[in-house]
Amino acid sequence: MKVNLDNLRNIGISAHIDSGKTTLTERILFYTQRIHAIHEVRGKDGVGAKMDSMELEKERGITIQSAATYCNWKGHAINIIDTPGHVDFTIEVERALRVLDGAVLILCSVGGVQSQSITVNRQMTRYKVPRIVFINKCDRTGANPYRVTRQVRDKLDLNAVLMQIPIGLEGDLQGVVDLVTMKAVYFEGDKGEVIREADIPAELLDEAEEKREELLDAASMYSEELMEAILEGTPTEEMIHDAVRKGTLSLELVPVFMGSAYKNKGVQSMLDAVTAYLPTPKDIENTALDLDNEEKEIILSSNPDDSLTSLAFKLEDGRYGQLTYIRIYQGTMKKGDTIINSRDGKKVKVGRLVRMHSDEMEDIEEAAAGDIVALFGIDCASGDTFTSPGNNVSMSSMHVPEPVISLAIIPEDNKAQINMSKALNRFTKEDPTFRTFVDHETNETIISGMGELHLEVYIERMKREYKAAVEVGQPQVAYRETITQMAEFNYTHKKQTGGSGQFGRVAGFIEPLDDGEYEFIDQIVGGAIPREFISSCDKGFQKSLEKGSLAGAPITGVKVTINDGAAHAVDSSDVAFQLAAIGAFKEGYQKAKPVILEPIMKVAVEGPSEFQGAVMGSLNQRRGIIIGTIEEANYTSVEAEVPLSEMFGYSTVLRSLTQGKAEFTMEFANYKPVPKSVAEEIIKKAEAEKQKS
Amino acid sequence: MLKEDLIKKNPLRVLNPLPAESLPDHRMGLVMARAGLGKTAILVQIAMDSMLRGQKVLHVSVGEDLGKAKAWYDDIFRYISEGSQLENVGEVEIELMRNRMIMTFKESAFSRPKLEERLNDLIYQSIFRPDVVVVDGYDFAEADYDSIMDLKEMMAAMNVQVWFSALRHREDDRVSAAGVPAPCHEVDGLFDTVIIVQPEQDAIMLEIIKDEYDSAAGKVLNLDPSTMMVKA
Repeated sequence: MKVNLDNLRNIGISAHIDSGKTTLTERILFYTQRIHAIHEVRGKDGVGAKMDSMELEKERGITIQSAATYCNWKGHAINIIDTPGHVDFTIEVERALRVLDGAVLILCSVGGVQSQSITVNRQMTRYKVPRIVFINKCDRTGANPYRVTRQVRDKLDLNAVLMQIPIGLEGDLQGVVDLVTMKAVYFEGDKGEVIREADIPAELLDEAEEKREELLDAASMYSEELMEAILEGTPTEEMIHDAVRKGTLSLELVPVFMGSAYKNKGVQSMLDAVTAYLPTPKDIENTALDLDNEEKEIILSSNPDDSLTSLAFKLEDGRYGQLTYIRIYQGTMKKGDTIINSRDGKKVKVGRLVRMHSDEMEDIEEAAAGDIVALFGIDCASGDTFTSPGNNVSMSSMHVPEPVISLAIIPEDNKAQINMSKALNRFTKEDPTFRTFVDHETNETIISGMGELHLEVYIERMKREYKAAVEVGQPQVAYRETITQMAEFNYTHKKQTGGSGQFGRVAGFIEPLDDGEYEFIDQIVGGAIPREFISSCDKGFQKSLEKGSLAGAPITGVKVTINDGAAHAVDSSDVAFQLAAIGAFKEGYQKAKPVILEPIMKVAVEGPSEFQGAVMGSLNQRRGIIIGTIEEANYTSVEAEVPLSEMFGYSTVLRSLTQGKAEFTMEFANYKPVPKSVAEEIIKKAEAEKQKS
Repeated sequence: MLKEDLIKKNPLRVLNPLPAESLPDHRMGLVMARAGLGKTAILVQIAMDSMLRGQKVLHVSVGEDLGKAKAWYDDIFRYISEGSQLENVGEVEIELMRNRMIMTFKESAFSRPKLEERLNDLIYQSIFRPDVVVVDGYDFAEADYDSIMDLKEMMAAMNVQVWFSALRHREDDRVSAAGVPAPCHEVDGLFDTVIIVQPEQDAIMLEIIKDEYDSAAGKVLNLDPSTMMVKA
């Protein structure tokens, strides 16, 4: 079955935790007849909403992994990527955003734009994702879609335009007025499936006229035809749709819809908007890197007849075995085809090709450009590119941040040990920000990631899905070391104890490198160090970087230049020069004023203004630098930069400080030198540990 | 160049001569300009100068968002550090960051009691004790004499220096006897120092039309229109 690209939408549903995203997705699947009954996220029936297929998600009532699902709405095919709402899983969000063409940003009509929505919005802007806004929970006490729309303008800096106004609010929510057709829309029947259009209630007419005026004003910026028609007083629905669509695609306009998924109101109108305003795969320009031509960027065609380029954006190990979710950007993938993983050049045969509906699936014969499907039994990692033979391209690598926190895990018994390694193998493939390694000195397995919750969730999953019970150590911050000034070295490595000796002299200097981890410059003239040993020096320096002398942390930001040295005709060797370089680095490092760096997090705390003082106090106590505060009506958010090491357990502290009314998000900002007193403590601890082992 | 030289060579020395002890405890300054002529840039440079000298600065922004205010500081620091080939840039930047805090208010959320409450929060918990407060975006057109007097008294009680920016409107040509244009023509007596930003043919001039504490009155500084940096 070939899908007409004009009738295909790949959309994400992205939002703040608890704004009702999963409920909304559930309703969409119901109205598009993919499911036949509605379950709630925290439902009493114990079935749970369809998109939260992982046990853990059901228990916590939150969505952790983005599952892709496929549905049909009025002749359009829609692939929905459900994305997690918590900031600790941003790699998941970012990866999902990459494969989307458009998104629905859900906001709670009471809570409005909160810090998480700001983060998600920023990510959408980074990936140039056109979006529409759906203001959910209009049935809640305190619902105010107008205020939320203003916040979208102020806080998210988006040109938000109301496409609807509510008929009644809070408990009295009945439907919406469509400002394009100028009709009242009611959602009736048990599940809101019966849509009734009627005249606008008289008391809302003035307001509707006024908001329609604003809508026309905003939309006419994108269509001269519409502008002329407005002047003549004859704008048609089609003209308005076209103009709004143009504005949305150019990322300059964001149409706003509203309703209550829980009360079954407004969801169908939002689906209409998805098909009307969000882009088709053809509207979006995607690029890949040409591996045959120095990774030059090339534009993909979205033509199903061109050679295949596709991206594996998600792996899942479910009850059906290993599933790989793939977005096809160009060409067609057929059952039985041989495709190539451009990371390692391995050939892979396409066995089963399926279209996913949350946790059910439908076998298909082929899938073409623009589509999102899943493959069975393919061994690969998230972010791998699959192409047809001869098409040597790679989708540009995604921005993957370095992990900032790690902890040791110890399996409780032998069986747990085996299961644990299975689980870790799976998780590291699914999530590039989750890493694992064995510490050679302590023999412990260390896992590292982007935050406390990030690691906690994987530990939970290990227990539940893999029955691997583990003991968990204290979280450790990933320190680094670097140098702050230039220093020279001149070191001779000499060893003559029977047999062949070792000799090598290396001289030069090290200096701070602002952008980058390590650079090696060879300025040797006249063969003071023979050619063949230059790379030995490089190797020796790189080895030195693995562990700094202060805290045993990796060293970054160093540029090493060698400009002199000496060799011996018999005694010089690869090993001798590596050791000479290690000695030379040690000598230079001591003189270059080394410092310890620690990860600094950008923290945003949001809550009622009355708690602002307490919040700032708590951040200040944690060595935080408060950058500023944003005061709005009775809500204040505080932005600060705080060392990660001080943020452990902050959620509990914040909850008790603010009666649970404030919340915080944090993301990695940068590495900064630790203050002297803290550095001394870290060094002492590192020394104590060295002596232990 | 070292930080100390940077402080000495700053053209703003005309306004804030060294040593710092010779400065009045509380002074109220005003920078006036039409839209787009660099009010914020000048306030940030005044703030930055104080920060370099080790004073703590609270930047209050009415109506702007936090990111934009912060971006001004980042840009101006970059111009300063690149232009002067400053040494130890990283260290100086961290030091400066500690001397600054930004507070942003939505227009409707800004009021004297609220500002006072916030300042008290900061001071009593010893989170931040400002020596200088710059207020950007305060709407003088909507404010009356009493409310500005009120702010002045509050700042004086807290012993801080305060700088305001005010937006001039092209169509409003009322001027006070001292030469202070609208919308501040009726409150000019409250300010100790007033700087007017005047666009000339291809330069922007800063005219110091009033200065109670110093002989800076009548002096003129320039503004580089491409970087918005103050020049002698």
